Amino acid sequence: MDLLDFARGPAMQVAIYVFLTGSLWRLFGILLLQRKPDYSELRKTGKLRAALKVIWNRAFTAPEFRMATRYTRIVGYTLHFGLFVTVFLFVPHIVFFKGLIGIDWPGLPNNVIFFVGVITVGVGIAILIRRMTHPVLRLISNFDDYFSWFVTMLPVITGLIMPIRFGIRWETLLAIHILSVALLLIWLPFGKLAHVFLLIASRGTTGAIIERRGART
Amino acid sequence: MKYTPSLGDILQARGVSRRGFLKYCAATTSLLALPPTMVPRIANALEQARRPSVIWLSFQECTGCTESLTRSSSPTLEGLIFDSISLDYHHTLQAASGEAAEAARHAAMEENMGNYLVLVDGSIPLGNPGFSTIAGISNYDMLMETVKGAAAVVAIGSCASFGGIPGADPNPTGAVSVKDLITDKPVINVPGCPPIPMVITAVLSQYLTFGQLPELDHLGRPVAFYGQTIHDRCYRRPFYEQGLFAETFDDEGARKGWCLFRLGCKGPITYNACATMKWNGGTSFPIEAGHPCLGCSEPGFWDKGGFYNPVSTTDIGSGVALAGAAAAGVAIGAAAAAMSRRRQKKTIQEG
Amino acid sequence: MSTSEFDLESKRLSIKEPEIRYDTQGDLSDEERVQKAMAHFAKNFGTTAAIYLDSCIHCGMCADACHYYVATGDPKYTPIWKLEPFKQAYKREVSPFAFLYRLFGLKKKVTAEQLQEWQHLLYDSCTVCGRCSLICPMGIDIASLVAMARHGMFKAGLVPHELHAVAERAEVDGSPLGVTPQLFEERLEWMEDEHEVDINIDKEQADVLAVMSSIEIQKYPAAMAATAKILNAMGESWTFRTDGFEATNFGMMSGNVEWQKNTSMRIINAAIKVGAKMVLLPECGHAYMALRWMGANIYGKPLPFKVLHVSEYLADALNSGKLKVRKVDKSVTFHDPCQISRRGGATRAPRDILKHLAVDFRELPGGGDYNWCCGGGGGVVTILRADELRYKVFKLKMEQVEATEAETLLSSCSNCRQNFDDCQEHYDWKYTMESLLDLVADNLEEDEA
Repeated sequence: MDLLDFARGPAMQVAIYVFLTGSLWRLFGILLLQRKPDYSELRKTGKLRAALKVIWNRAFTAPEFRMATRYTRIVGYTLHFGLFVTVFLFVPHIVFFKGLIGIDWPGLPNNVIFFVGVITVGVGIAILIRRMTHPVLRLISNFDDYFSWFVTMLPVITGLIMPIRFGIRWETLLAIHILSVALLLIWLPFGKLAHVFLLIASRGTTGAIIERRGART
Repeated sequence: MKYTPSLGDILQARGVSRRGFLKYCAATTSLLALPPTMVPRIANALEQARRPSVIWLSFQECTGCTESLTRSSSPTLEGLIFDSISLDYHHTLQAASGEAAEAARHAAMEENMGNYLVLVDGSIPLGNPGFSTIAGISNYDMLMETVKGAAAVVAIGSCASFGGIPGADPNPTGAVSVKDLITDKPVINVPGCPPIPMVITAVLSQYLTFGQLPELDHLGRPVAFYGQTIHDRCYRRPFYEQGLFAETFDDEGARKGWCLFRLGCKGPITYNACATMKWNGGTSFPIEAGHPCLGCSEPGFWDKGGFYNPVSTTDIGSGVALAGAAAAGVAIGAAAAAMSRRRQKKTIQEG
Repeated sequence: MSTSEFDLESKRLSIKEPEIRYDTQGDLSDEERVQKAMAHFAKNFGTTAAIYLDSCIHCGMCADACHYYVATGDPKYTPIWKLEPFKQAYKREVSPFAFLYRLFGLKKKVTAEQLQEWQHLLYDSCTVCGRCSLICPMGIDIASLVAMARHGMFKAGLVPHELHAVAERAEVDGSPLGVTPQLFEERLEWMEDEHEVDINIDKEQADVLAVMSSIEIQKYPAAMAATAKILNAMGESWTFRTDGFEATNFGMMSGNVEWQKNTSMRIINAAIKVGAKMVLLPECGHAYMALRWMGANIYGKPLPFKVLHVSEYLADALNSGKLKVRKVDKSVTFHDPCQISRRGGATRAPRDILKHLAVDFRELPGGGDYNWCCGGGGGVVTILRADELRYKVFKLKMEQVEATEAETLLSSCSNCRQNFDDCQEHYDWKYTMESLLDLVADNLEEDEA
């Protein structure tokens, strides 16, 4: 079994299992703690609608706060957009997802993906520098923040190296790229990257509580 | 002393012009990526070449490699060259059979001890010697015996190079490759299922000319023919880059000749000369004919996740296993929550 | 001491890096304090807190919303950083991976030093105003977590001593400012005379139970008369009760759950006793949060009466036409109290009232739900050592108000008013905060009859 077979086979399998197990562990480990009922006279009914409203609108910053947060928002949106495009609109990736979940969708040309990938890495570096230099971020950041950055950037960087080659065999670069994705999947449930699914719980909870009070969310 | 005509004598006798012969040498030189100054040297060597003894051993094979080599679409110079090798043993092509054939093999070995070339196609079963025998002799025994006095061994085709289809999961015969067994003689792998005919003859020509192995990659394949991927030389590469893919066979994209990546083409991870030299005297190759590359010159190509599964897919295991992983996650989470609640209670009591 | 310890750069004589000062209550050892804190942190580690504490992605945006960070630039005022020991305790003890964290020593136990250092962050520099909760992209209600963390700090005996003293007064005497039932009655009678208004005290039965905050009773007593005037004009069956009148809740602000409950139950019991259909809350911010949103859960079941802030009551009354007011020819701006508008959901009420008063209403830039906190809530106004910080953050308020160039500044929270008064004096500021309730009561149309 060569490195590529290992990466595409056992490595990815283990990664997907750990991702699944770890994510549900974290989610249920939180959801099955104590809950207290709310007996107050709520202004609005519809817990689900309230939850969904906040899940949606917290993706956007309220106008009042936009000026103060512009740097964070610009690099944050750009990074997420870049990740979305490079992960979900590159045809070899689309084919990967089709193999997993059976759904297909159109992609973008390779050079567009490459261009967006380069921007993603650039913004990623800007984000890291900011985290290391801004007084607030330096104070509150920990291992999780830096390791999660590394584990997210590695697939993008290894993916960009593949067309550039640097004289390395393509199948070796592909194997390294797939292994970096496996690392990302394994780490995801255990660090802050879990926000991909936790945001539903946290925003939804605030929606269910605060929105139903008729208070601003 | 027996008169053994040189290759030059034979060609002359057959009415092959010097010009035609030199043209062949020029083509071969160029194929081997050698400088033009090498042409006279190749010509000289081939001319002088005594018909070297070649013993072709066929083990667990489908005869496709032989078919590929000998069944050319039109008589070519390669065929003539082939006649000019002393092919002393080949199941499909030889006139003799039975004990006479084995006697011919032994005679060739004795007469040319240390100088003969052994070509092998087909894999060697180690599971049970009875799985594949010739004249009652197991493949393994015949290989080890024949290779003793060989100058070099050339494994022709993916079965001899890597185990091939008999070696595919679950490998019921315990098939292994030539290189798995022969460690004390030079071995050249010429894989492919089958290999391109001109690749075979060019490798032989190079060996005959220089008397030494060509530059080989880490899998023992001549770099001259197996040094680049199909993907890097494929004429459909621009469509890959543009993101234009055939989705199914004979759809609009397929008819327009778009990239076959989505149909499972293994071009990106396959090293061979199909995209440049092509098949049937340069007529076409699988991708050009509309079928994704199977990756047939790579080890274990039968077991790389399926011919129609793209290179970037992964086998995530069964639905049962996934459900099991999910259930495990919920269970561990519930256990963690229970432990946390207990600890919570304890901390509250202690305070 | 070597001279290098002196701070020679600042305008005042001091030393660099003075030790952290913190107040303590009780005789507990450090270990005991930590144990108590952990126990009462743990009481809050249910699903809601867990979701919030597990979801923080360290983006730092909450700092940009917090008046303490914005006014000082000091990163320690980052809202989620104020919760660091609380979060650490959660992760170590109760989170889904708590076992792994403990096994591999990945999260340390909270120390006494940490709790001491965090007293300033959890009390001096947080008014639980909720701006951070609005900015958080993960939707974490950071403000509510600070309130929870205070539970641990209280039981550990680590509350700023003025806040503790005031809260203790409220528990023992029923009022943070020592307003006994007798004193309350006396001041009501005084207002009755002074303002010539009928004030109902201790009726056996009433549809509406009116309550007051001690700040109003002691400092802005006209509010009592204004309340009575309005309820009379509405023809309500209403009363004050001397056995249940205190709307403020210093148990809630200081972090003592039992005291919070005791305070709320006095009102609830009084309301039940008189068979009230509605409890009318005064111009007090956290009173609204305490009873309207936390009261039923303290009580353990739905409250058998409605709870309205006086601005909501007035808005309903004016909107329905039951109450009429004269036009007030002034340019007015309104400071939204955090606990009523942003956290309470009653933002529209004052605006309806001002519409009926037909004033030239000018919104504060960034006003309404996103309004800057006045900086005095959450008990901060009681803490003397926090004064300098409180004045610093008030600059944001002054800028905001001055931008409107309005003649009059209104609000409907007497704690905000108290803070504005103090800061006005400190800065010799031209704006005096006035009460919306007073303005309505002074301009009731039926006066003309």
